[in-house]
Amino acid sequence: MSNLAGKSYAMNVVTPLKRSTAWINKLIFWGAQLPGLRVLNGLETLSLIHYAQWAIVKPGQFPRLDSSQPKEDIEYAYMFFFSNFNGSWAQYVDSFHMSIPRGLDLFWRKNLKYPKSVPLQPFHAYINYNQICTDHYYNAYPCASSNDVKAAKSIKRALGAFIEDTRNAPPADFANKYRALLNELQNDLSLMAATPIVSLAAAAVESRHGAET
Amino acid sequence: MLEKNTSGRVYGLTLLCPIRNESQDGSSCAEILRCYLQNLDTEDGSPMAKAPNTYFARFYVLNDVFYEGFDCKEEHLKSRYLVFSSNFHGDRDAYVRGMWNSNKEGVKAIWRFCVGFENVTDAEGFADYVKRCQVDNALVFNGSTDDSLAEQLKALYLKQEFSRFAYANQGASPERLQQNFNKFVEQTQPFNLAHPTWPSGHLHPNASIADGS
Repeated sequence: MSNLAGKSYAMNVVTPLKRSTAWINKLIFWGAQLPGLRVLNGLETLSLIHYAQWAIVKPGQFPRLDSSQPKEDIEYAYMFFFSNFNGSWAQYVDSFHMSIPRGLDLFWRKNLKYPKSVPLQPFHAYINYNQICTDHYYNAYPCASSNDVKAAKSIKRALGAFIEDTRNAPPADFANKYRALLNELQNDLSLMAATPIVSLAAAAVESRHGAET
Repeated sequence: MLEKNTSGRVYGLTLLCPIRNESQDGSSCAEILRCYLQNLDTEDGSPMAKAPNTYFARFYVLNDVFYEGFDCKEEHLKSRYLVFSSNFHGDRDAYVRGMWNSNKEGVKAIWRFCVGFENVTDAEGFADYVKRCQVDNALVFNGSTDDSLAEQLKALYLKQEFSRFAYANQGASPERLQQNFNKFVEQTQPFNLAHPTWPSGHLHPNASIADGS
């Protein structure tokens, strides 16, 4: 079991909200996608998330695939949150608390007993209490951060254009354009490697696995 | 029209798959499944590494919902659920069929305790089963890119290799620089997505070339 796969952490949070107010949260999420409102700008600016998703499941929407499966008789709707981000739990939760508290409060609005993201301690306790550990987590590029993926895209595009542009260039012109390329890509170039230690708990798991194999 | 489960070409799949309320050799199906998931290889040996275009995927067993305390209703689920969340490039049905076709035995091993899965015998059947277990997202957030996985992995490979190249060729003469760069292009094949590239799910992808010397 691990919430970690290389540089990424898988967070799962399940929180109840009243069925009668679930539509408000759905409306908020719908509105967040409208281009003019810029609700997601804060998330993009933090730049530590690969992908995240929220699902709101009303009582009648829990899948029932066979008549032998007991029918759920719950009253609350539940919000399922999934995030793939870089760094540790504390770095992630604290970043959100510091940078986009209003955005968090908007998304978790109407969730029962949500304490708001400021002050920090009750917010930590709320996430801790409602978090579920991941049993299996897979990451296609465990040694890359979200920023690495975006930087790699810029490099690949620029490199392709450079190759076309300098195909028959004399060495001096080539060198000039090469220097310009490095100048353009200086924020994107870096070597990627496995993160040494994200947390002591993760390091203990790694060490145990190492001993077992 | 805003899409619930996509952001650009990124699809966010959320499944709640009910687990049979049965036991085997004194352990519940949910318990056996959790144990199985926790012991899967998390890197390139993960069953999800074989599912084409998977960026991230996770599984956890949802035992029950949380009671939030005073003045909230205490309620419990009647089934346990295998929660599967995946972020991938492309369309759902093609992805799910690809999962089955690339690793049928791996899929069967994971879903074998789930209600209704006993009737799944082929890729189409699995796609139908997935539709029945799917819950719609309220929002999918893409903080990375929505390129195909092959495109992302090739870009990461080029980022790594070109960073090494830039470091190794500092101060090289224009002639030598161009010569080494041509060798770099020949070896890394920037326009060939398939080869050479990073393998999916590998924490320590080998970087083989670099200095052109």
